[in-house]
Amino acid sequence: MQSGASSRLELLQGTLDLLILRTLLPGPAHGHAIAKHIQRTSEEALKVETGSLYPALHRLEARGWVAASWEHSEKGKRARYYRLTAAGRKQLASEQSKWEKFARAMGLVLRPPHEESV
Amino acid sequence: MNRFLRQVVWLIYRRRREADLQAELAFHLSAEAEDRQADGLSQEEARFRARRDLGNVTLVQEDTRATWGWVALEHLMHDLRYGLRGLRKNPAFTGTAVLSLALGIGANTAIFSLIDALTLRWLPVRDPQALVQIRIAEDKQESFSYAIVRALAEQEDIFEGVAGFSGWAANVGTPGSTDRVPGALVTGGFYRTLGLNPAAGRLLADEDDRTGAPPVAVISYGYWERQFGRNPQAIGKAVRVNGAPVTIVGVSPPGFVGANVGSVADITMPVAALPAVSPEAAGLLGPGNFWLRVLARPRAGVSKAQARAQAAAVWPQIADRVTPAGWPGFLKEGLAKARFELVPGGTGWTRLRAVFRKPLFVLMGVVALVLVIAGANVANLLLARATVRQREIAVRLAIGGGRGRIIRQLLTESALLGACGAALGLVLAWGTGRLLLDVLSSGPQRVTFDMAPNWHVLAFTSAVAMVTALGFGLAPAFRSAAIGPSGMLKEHSGISRSRSLSSLVVVQVALSVVLVIGAGLFARTLDNLENVDPGFRREGVLLVDLEGRRTAFPRELLDELQQVPGIFQASVSTHTPLSGAVWSEPAVPRGQAVPERDNAYFIGAGPRFFDVVGMRLLAGRGFNDRDTIGSPPVAVVNEAYALRYFNGANPVGHYLSAKVRGHATDLEILGVVKNADLAGLRKAAPPAVYVPYYQLLGNNFPTTLAVRVSGSLSKAAAAVHDCLQPRLPNVPIEVRPLSAQVEATLVQERLLALLAAMFGGLALVLAIIGLYGLLAYGVARQSREIGLRMALGAQRRGVIAMVLRRAVGLVLLGTALGLPAALVASRWVKSMLFGLSPADPATMLQAAFLLIAAALAAAYVPARRAAAVDPMTALRHE
Repeated sequence: MQSGASSRLELLQGTLDLLILRTLLPGPAHGHAIAKHIQRTSEEALKVETGSLYPALHRLEARGWVAASWEHSEKGKRARYYRLTAAGRKQLASEQSKWEKFARAMGLVLRPPHEESV
Repeated sequence: MNRFLRQVVWLIYRRRREADLQAELAFHLSAEAEDRQADGLSQEEARFRARRDLGNVTLVQEDTRATWGWVALEHLMHDLRYGLRGLRKNPAFTGTAVLSLALGIGANTAIFSLIDALTLRWLPVRDPQALVQIRIAEDKQESFSYAIVRALAEQEDIFEGVAGFSGWAANVGTPGSTDRVPGALVTGGFYRTLGLNPAAGRLLADEDDRTGAPPVAVISYGYWERQFGRNPQAIGKAVRVNGAPVTIVGVSPPGFVGANVGSVADITMPVAALPAVSPEAAGLLGPGNFWLRVLARPRAGVSKAQARAQAAAVWPQIADRVTPAGWPGFLKEGLAKARFELVPGGTGWTRLRAVFRKPLFVLMGVVALVLVIAGANVANLLLARATVRQREIAVRLAIGGGRGRIIRQLLTESALLGACGAALGLVLAWGTGRLLLDVLSSGPQRVTFDMAPNWHVLAFTSAVAMVTALGFGLAPAFRSAAIGPSGMLKEHSGISRSRSLSSLVVVQVALSVVLVIGAGLFARTLDNLENVDPGFRREGVLLVDLEGRRTAFPRELLDELQQVPGIFQASVSTHTPLSGAVWSEPAVPRGQAVPERDNAYFIGAGPRFFDVVGMRLLAGRGFNDRDTIGSPPVAVVNEAYALRYFNGANPVGHYLSAKVRGHATDLEILGVVKNADLAGLRKAAPPAVYVPYYQLLGNNFPTTLAVRVSGSLSKAAAAVHDCLQPRLPNVPIEVRPLSAQVEATLVQERLLALLAAMFGGLALVLAIIGLYGLLAYGVARQSREIGLRMALGAQRRGVIAMVLRRAVGLVLLGTALGLPAALVASRWVKSMLFGLSPADPATMLQAAFLLIAAALAAAYVPARRAAAVDPMTALRHE
């Protein structure tokens, strides 16, 4: 379900996982903060639907790539914080490199070097 | 693996996780609301927007929960709980369905248990899969001589061990009692080959199986318990076996009762000790007697094929050594050329298999049909229930429940029914098993099986239950889910189940027809056999076996016996009709060449024997007191013999050449006696030669007294016992009727008749239940129409007639289908019938009448209910 500007892009399941893992690289965060971070950092182009966020987080937890625990937030409330595990770090590295290869390949086809851009 | 463990942990802490998730989403909501507040919205506005942004909370929760990985299991638990609740709330439905399934499954399990115990179960020995039974390939001969078994046991590079064994019985005297105890005679390597360890003391070994070794015995664990109370002092004690002292050296492990399946060997002795306890049987150790069954264990690393090849290679040398000198040339050659085959021996050996294999397979077919009928009932019930639940299913479909989910849930209910049916069926099977054993034991041999359900049987039962429940639950499940919700929510719509219900009932009736006709055929066969004239007197004759007798029965005792009140006449013989023991010799008219294989039955008969057992003399005379050792050798032949060798001419006065117990003699034929069914009630009478008992030479022939009784059999039996026991103190006197001996040969037929009748009756009852259900449903559904008819002037009689017509119509249709099927099926069992053809019209007519009566019985209550319909009530809106 899309809402808002047409510049919002659709997020596939695999890419959402990658974004979450990358967001957690600097340090642990709770679900709301993760969503806000992705939204802000992508300059509002990617908005994570709550309906997809939490299933994704739990799926990552089931796979052992993130671990969760209840901590106190900055405001003092109890929140569930997710952090990257060692396996998650490895997964992030491999997924990121796959993505970069994919993006480069797309770029080569969409903007071939010897053709004029349309 | 970690992932799996994590999921298991999550499953256990399911509730906590769900609470956590709720808290997590609540936090998200409040954080989102705070952010919007910070952007300038009012608190309420902020919360509202945050909620809307989150979307459907339940959906989010469900999606998240889905990632936890246990959705399928949760659904299953839920379905089970829901199904159980539904079943509990409908006791009539549940009860009928479970009972039908239990009867069908129980019957199948009982028969399968028997087949398992008889043919599939391993002996409780070490590594039974490696054991082989040695047989001669040409004629499937399974018995070997003592000399051959010893020779095979010497081939240590082929066989790790060779075990020869045979069933036996002896009079065992412990201080306090003398009983006839079933046992076994074994060769030295028996226990070693089977790989058994003693429960106490030691087991028989090769040293015990040598001439001159002190006679020792091993007793079974059960016998140790019963007779000695598991007293360790029993080891080393001496008991009297047939009067001779024998030392007990050990006890075999619990659970092992010998290698003869279906028999119990309470006392086991080495073959070499036989002459010490039964001198008259000493000849069995000779090379000419083939009486031991052989199990062997090939050496580790030697395959069955290799063992067979190696045995074939060494056999010619062995054959030379073990062939009896006195054998005719063709027999010697046959033995030397014999090829062995090694068949799996881990299930032991038994004569029962040959006797009961065919009937058991017929019964397996019968109970399979019963199961189909029972399953059809369950299908009917499930369809009925689906009708009742239409609205519920429609609503569930309408609010988004998947069809797959609904089908799964209905199938879970069927599976629950199947499981309950299977559990109850197991109990029923155990009871039926005991009944079966009783029937089997009425034969010539006492039959003992451990019929406790083992894992074979449990696996079989579960498989049958699941297949039945799912098979018969599938159609109703699909039908229910197929009709769309709109179809179901209408007022008077419904699954048109009438057609499929009717066809199910017709099928049930057809199958019942087959089973009822089968039961009728087997019952009449048994009846025919029990009333056939076997050529001798079945009733009013008592027999007394005198095992362990060594010399001819004293004549004075015979005369004394005849004076006993209640005894009309007494005589003696070596064999009695249908006793199971046979003595045969070649006997030809003097001058003809002795044929190689054509032997006649021989019976040594005392004076007045033919009168006592009621065999009619057709020419000449029977034996009298003057026919004894010293007087001219004589014989009496039967009709079949006269036909075979004299072409029907009167043979009285001619001479026979025969070898009576090893002595070549010429016998003058004194008379011709009517044929008697000596080889079995169903077989043609064999040629038989009777020689005078008191002319028999030697002193180790079996002896049975035959006594014709006037008056009460039991009183006479007691009188005989009292007369004889004091004269023969060391011999247990057992008096039994000749009729029982004849009956014992009919155990196969009795088994079939009883069980076919039982299961045929069961099938009929199930079919009646199915028919009743159909009619009752029809009446209920059509009550408005009936009310209308009655309001317009139809008589109650007419209404009843309508219901009865429907019932009889269905039954006739089913019978029409079932009769051809029954004809085909009865042709398969033709060989088991006696005195009637498979298309016996009387039986078929009886079956038809029985089914019409069944139809009327089933229709009784629905017809009455139809007649009781009050037009006013029925016409009002339901």
